[in-house]
Amino acid sequence: MGFSKYLDSKRAEIKQLVAELKKNYQYVSVLGVDIKATDIQVDSNTSNIDPGSDMECGFVIKMSNGREFYEYSLDDISGDIPALAKNITESLKLEDSLKANTIDEVILTDEPLVKSFVREGDFEKYTDKELLEFCKETCKTLAGKSEHILNAMVRLGKMEVSKLFISENRELDQNYTWASGILVAIYNENEKTIQSFESEGDPTLAAVLEKLPGKMDKLVKKAHMLTLAKPIEPGIYDVITAPSITGLIAHEAFGHGVEMDQFVKDRALAKKYVGDYVASPICNMRDGAASTLSVASYFFDDDGVLASDTQIIKDGILVTGLSDLASATQLGTAPTGNGRRESTRRKAYARMTNTFFEKGTDKLEDMIKSIDHGYMLFETNNGMEDPKNWAIQCVAEYGIEIVDGKLTDNWVSPVVMSGYVPDLLKSISMVSDDFEISGLGHCGKGYKEWVRVSDGGPALKVKVKLG
Amino acid sequence: MIKIIECLKKNQRVDEYKINLTQKESYQLFFVKGKLETTRRTNTCDKEVTVYVKHGEFKGDSSFIVYPSTTEGELDNLIETAVEKALLIENQSYELPEAGEGEYQVESNFSNYSLNEIAGIVANTVFKAEAEEGTALNSVEVFVNRNTITVANSLGVNKTQIKYSAMVEAIPTYNGKEESVELYQQYNFSTLDEAVITAEIEEKLREVKARYEAKKPENEITGSVILNKLELSELFSTLAYDLGYYRVYAKSNVYSKGDMLQKDLTGDAITITMKGEAEGNIASAKFDGDGMNLTDIKIIDEGKVINYFGSNRFGQYLGEKPTGSLGCLIVEPGTACPKCLSKAPYLEVVSMSGLQVDAYNDYIGGEVRLAYYNDGTTITPVTGISITGKLSEVLGNIRLAKEVAVHDRYIGPKKAILSGMKIF
Repeated sequence: MGFSKYLDSKRAEIKQLVAELKKNYQYVSVLGVDIKATDIQVDSNTSNIDPGSDMECGFVIKMSNGREFYEYSLDDISGDIPALAKNITESLKLEDSLKANTIDEVILTDEPLVKSFVREGDFEKYTDKELLEFCKETCKTLAGKSEHILNAMVRLGKMEVSKLFISENRELDQNYTWASGILVAIYNENEKTIQSFESEGDPTLAAVLEKLPGKMDKLVKKAHMLTLAKPIEPGIYDVITAPSITGLIAHEAFGHGVEMDQFVKDRALAKKYVGDYVASPICNMRDGAASTLSVASYFFDDDGVLASDTQIIKDGILVTGLSDLASATQLGTAPTGNGRRESTRRKAYARMTNTFFEKGTDKLEDMIKSIDHGYMLFETNNGMEDPKNWAIQCVAEYGIEIVDGKLTDNWVSPVVMSGYVPDLLKSISMVSDDFEISGLGHCGKGYKEWVRVSDGGPALKVKVKLG
Repeated sequence: MIKIIECLKKNQRVDEYKINLTQKESYQLFFVKGKLETTRRTNTCDKEVTVYVKHGEFKGDSSFIVYPSTTEGELDNLIETAVEKALLIENQSYELPEAGEGEYQVESNFSNYSLNEIAGIVANTVFKAEAEEGTALNSVEVFVNRNTITVANSLGVNKTQIKYSAMVEAIPTYNGKEESVELYQQYNFSTLDEAVITAEIEEKLREVKARYEAKKPENEITGSVILNKLELSELFSTLAYDLGYYRVYAKSNVYSKGDMLQKDLTGDAITITMKGEAEGNIASAKFDGDGMNLTDIKIIDEGKVINYFGSNRFGQYLGEKPTGSLGCLIVEPGTACPKCLSKAPYLEVVSMSGLQVDAYNDYIGGEVRLAYYNDGTTITPVTGISITGKLSEVLGNIRLAKEVAVHDRYIGPKKAILSGMKIF
């Protein structure tokens, strides 16, 4: 446990490589990543202990000559460093036709900073054998909860992240952990098979192991109700969003639209609306690796910029967006610490981290009471952004009908929420005084570049099209 | 790999092993508003080792990653730790694929060029597309990949295949007087055909102008819904991947052998074959991650589920013949001629936020970003609408085009007509 010994051993060679490459480039930085990840999964018939999908060890070098950028991804930095630098430079040489058509001048800054960051975890307290036993026991208990469960699955994931960033003037390292757990039931009743899940995430395994088993009864009840769920009658409804769906709206409806690399490309309508009302005046929205503690909480981003807490919407007015180093430099703004890569093998883009609406002052029961006929929506399935045109599609796993101010036993599934972003955000009329954030999912940019994110917030009352 | 095999053979507790190596080379170009912003190159190698240990009636396995920095001493420790983990795993026993050697290249004309040459040709071809007045490509990303994949195991499998692929993500934009609009396109291919790339981009540039002109219908519209290859790929993938061995073994499949997917059939019967290789298909491969040779199999015949497909381990668990992990989804064309496809009223979907197909809940639908609506007299571009319907009903009445199209791993009808969907 603790910061990667391997990355630690590479500091001198990385600094030598930076110095060599600086002979040809105005800016050079190296990001080294060593993520140790394990997935332990048990279902009613099989079990596995395997490397987690986040596991990686490698380097990416970022360079600029004052105009366009260059990147080179590799597994190791060792051996003849001047020869490596020469090879990298040669392999990235542009053909004349490309060289003649590059972006305008961009001078990346490299402010001096040397710092180490650590967020202590507890992974050393648990062996894989103990975690496997936990999964087996929990799986057995879950499977025994109902004769309708065809298969039960329990998965634990643990990852310890070490990242080292070195440029001419900066040397940063960070080490932190994240643990997650998920329960899944394949459930058949009422002539219908469904798949349902519950999850938990925390920097410590202790919290996950404590909280996950307590979600089994909720999971089984939900599975039963989902087998009774009917399709929703398409229409425009008053809707209460549970925190997961509030987060989905924050993420898909507005978060992608304020990723500022899209501003550079003129791909985001939000660029024109900074300083204007884009949402109801009771609406406040934030994003940041330092905004809250969840799966996307780190100390510095993949550009070596310190994490921050960005207010995106303040009292309904769009304040600012989220940037990586390159987009902030091109736009003449300060980077917000949102430069993220899927891995060292992929490019850094401006990406969300932990994205959420802030809590308000309304009581959830009053919000439900205020609706004659509508739905409360729960659990994110997926969503899709449209930053240029502000169309949205958010898919909830299920909704519960509200009649005369009360939740009924009428469930609908799935529920596709669609419409025009400003219409949705300006329709927010109540915001609950509670708050929840969850980080089970991954976020893509378009259909690629997957990174872990969290989102959430309070419950919102909105008016929106469901189908 | 020799060092890894020596260490594995040294450990007496390792009964069997498998080694997966993937050498990944990639060249990538990123353009912003037509100008080059970033050039990337990657040169990496993934090495994953799986050890298998037989204990009692069980066969346990555990995997680990080997890095360039991993020393022989560390490798010995990794193997020993993996053995200990495998002893905790009480899985039903199964046999690994046996002896087979070979070096293959999955068909592609990329091998005639270097990666940066292909990227340059693709970029030039994309920007050569004739733009409608007011249209532009605000963002273009070009990825060209060469993966050399090796699988070796302790029973004599030692196979290598070279696979090429390319991806273009293009964002066509139309800048009008009142607003600017865009569409999203990701195009994957493994054969370089400049004419096809240009045609794909030009079509999107025409469509983005239509999105600018599109309006939300003032009144309710009705008619059949026409889906194109991208959405059909999503629809048929949902049906096919429900029939994978793992899904069936985990009991999470909705459909089973003998089921008729098309009850009350009034449209074209659906026939789907999963293949290992198909011309122009990006999922083409010579073998899978276990080193299994791939065996094509028809899974749905005239609307009836007749077979499952999938990997070695779960095939054996189900008592089925393993086909290997098959990636190419082949759907037989139907009877709908161009005249049938233009019978009004209809809504032809051009772009969606993502077609949602939920077999568990018998649902199909989603938000439509651009469609053409033909009311019988005029064809109008429309936006701001959604479609929704019952999957089982749609499967019963679907009419499949005679014309075939390729999209990523899908080869099948270019279009299909769906009746009974609500447009709202």
